[in-house]
Amino acid sequence: MSLAEPAALPVATSAAPRLHLLKRFMGRFRASLPAYLLLLPSLVFLALFTYGAMGRVFVDALYQRATPKAPVRFVGLDNISAVLADPAFTGAVTNNLIYAVGTAVPSIALALLFALALSRTHAVSSALRAALFLPVLIPMVAASALFLFIFLPNVGLLDYYIGRLLPVLPNWLGDPDIALYAIMIITIWKNAGYYMLFFLAGLQAVPEDVMEAAHLDGAGPYMRLRHIILPELKPTFLFVTVIATLNAVTQVDHVFVMTQGGPSNATNLVLFYIYQQAVEHYDIGKASAATLLTLAALMGLTALSFRTMANREGGP
Amino acid sequence: MLFSRRLMLGLAMAGALAFPALAGEGPTEVDLFFPVPVDGKLARDMGTLIKEFNETHPDVKATAVYTGSYDDTLIKTRAAIKAGKPPAAVIMSANFLLDMQIENELTNLDSLIAADGSTKEKFLGQFFPALQGNAVINRSVYGVPFHNSTPLLYINADKAKEAGLDPSKPPQTWAELTDWAKKLTKRDGDKVTQWGIAIPCAYDYCGWMMETLTMSNGGRYYNEEFGGEVYYDTPSMLGALTWWNDLIYKHKVHTPGATPGPAVSTSFISGNAAMMMLSTGSLTYVRDNAKFAYKVAFIPRNVRNAVPIGGASLIMPAGLEADKQKAAWTLIKWMTSPEKSGWWSRATGYFAPNMAAYKTPEMVDFLGKNPDAKTAVEQLDVAKPWFATYKTVPVRKNLEDEVMLVLNGKKQPKEALAAAQKAADETLKPYNAETSLKLP
Repeated sequence: MSLAEPAALPVATSAAPRLHLLKRFMGRFRASLPAYLLLLPSLVFLALFTYGAMGRVFVDALYQRATPKAPVRFVGLDNISAVLADPAFTGAVTNNLIYAVGTAVPSIALALLFALALSRTHAVSSALRAALFLPVLIPMVAASALFLFIFLPNVGLLDYYIGRLLPVLPNWLGDPDIALYAIMIITIWKNAGYYMLFFLAGLQAVPEDVMEAAHLDGAGPYMRLRHIILPELKPTFLFVTVIATLNAVTQVDHVFVMTQGGPSNATNLVLFYIYQQAVEHYDIGKASAATLLTLAALMGLTALSFRTMANREGGP
Repeated sequence: MLFSRRLMLGLAMAGALAFPALAGEGPTEVDLFFPVPVDGKLARDMGTLIKEFNETHPDVKATAVYTGSYDDTLIKTRAAIKAGKPPAAVIMSANFLLDMQIENELTNLDSLIAADGSTKEKFLGQFFPALQGNAVINRSVYGVPFHNSTPLLYINADKAKEAGLDPSKPPQTWAELTDWAKKLTKRDGDKVTQWGIAIPCAYDYCGWMMETLTMSNGGRYYNEEFGGEVYYDTPSMLGALTWWNDLIYKHKVHTPGATPGPAVSTSFISGNAAMMMLSTGSLTYVRDNAKFAYKVAFIPRNVRNAVPIGGASLIMPAGLEADKQKAAWTLIKWMTSPEKSGWWSRATGYFAPNMAAYKTPEMVDFLGKNPDAKTAVEQLDVAKPWFATYKTVPVRKNLEDEVMLVLNGKKQPKEALAAAQKAADETLKPYNAETSLKLP
């Protein structure tokens, strides 16, 4: 369209396509009506138990009571600023960042290592895969209860063996400098086998002919890993990273069972902080505000990761 | 149209599932929420107890609902109240009652007691006086003591004899206890192979132990008459925390760091710690598992003999229908009667709050066989209420976080307690704004 012809053309023709669009939309809607009806039961339950609850969190985050007997009143964003100003929250965020990086990186590295070592299927590798996958099958709560005994100071399994080597035994869960790392060990132990599955699947997708060609061209194992396998696994990496990060925020069963966020808040993670606000402080407003902040961060992170993933997939 | 017919059928089925059949006429159905706070087979024992109740009370059908730890039980009760379906009765940690009363979540039991033709004094008179403080708020009864505990000093008698100490004369003062702990600590070069004493510190236990040590040092943890004050930054608590700190870093007879309750009892059972301070609630566990002779004693004093109580009371949430209230009251009275109270005590290791329980022939017989169970009851003479404030748990945590730093050698007792006091005052502020600082 040139500048000499102003808006005349679009205005003249707008009525017909719009009608056309509406018709097309109605037609499509009619065609997919049975599908929507089939989805209806799930939609109803999603609305009741997922979106309804989320909506409630939005509302609750805006209300607060000044004193115990006072009625709740609208406070706008006060709850959010109160959460951001709370040193316990910023402490939990810091802990959670350390925890996320400290669990995602080692467990993904281990998972890749396991997958590369066990990518060929035979009796031994199948047995080893099963063994490495076993921790995934144990519920987190049960695993935490097990590790509670492994980490017992002085008499636990770990101290029983390490005790022969060290002069002073670490109090694994009772020392604020060590406790978070002790918790991280469980997460790595538990998740590495799970992520291994994704890498195993990713490795199946590495084209056989390219590998063969590289082999014929004289590329050694390292060259093949560096220039073929790792680039091919990029989508898997991204996906597993997103999952690992989500896990770092949404799985706090072990914190609950083993340390309750202690000692001195050393293992307090964001989700556990929310639980504390809601249950111990009985402060629904602050808990909801913290939930919203976490949700926003998680959704931003996920959107970013998947966009990067889509770009890489779609790009040349 | 085959599609939509199937769909209709599916929807109809979903509808049928969503609306269960309405209950018909019959006995009043009541739910009892109960926690299992200690090791053992409490859940099974509770099943036995409720079955017996239902058999002897045809007009009430009680169902025992297991609700996890003390903290979980509070959460679930509050969730049920919010949902408009409160359980008829709950076994609630005794120090949560005040907080619940402040939040208007409890039924005042005074009118039910009066309807029975009894008086408050007469009703409460059944129970040990030490337990009444946590059941009465503003001179009204809100809870009925169900199972209670006090902290005890557990001693490995075999190890004591080995070290030349007489277990029949347990340490009575902090000085004697320090001396015992030194003699009971075994070293191999720099390495400790046997610790003299273990005192638990994890959220919940830590606050209770701090109250224990502070009270035996002459102090008070909180204002028993008013839920808006705690006394963290005081000489008596400073002395208590300094002594605990000294046991670790000066005398080196106690493991550094914060050790949770189960780790302490395991350490004692395995012989790694020769003495420990722990709840009477663990007595049955120790009795069943210790492969050595053990001895229980009062918590030693520095200034006076005094300990806090622990354990739980039966409560009724607010907002119950009249018939449920009546049925729950029947259940509560039955469960706290001398016979049942005694039975539960023998099954769990808690002491029976109802004084008459100790006059029943079964109990006399039991104490004859297990004299260690008597120590907890005797210590009740010097027991006082468990700390309970507005927002008990966060206020307690304000102290515990600082104590953990001290036990880990990261802070000195004096500055830790000042920080704890500041944090607790901040937590208590809204309540004070509404009560003590709301002036005409």
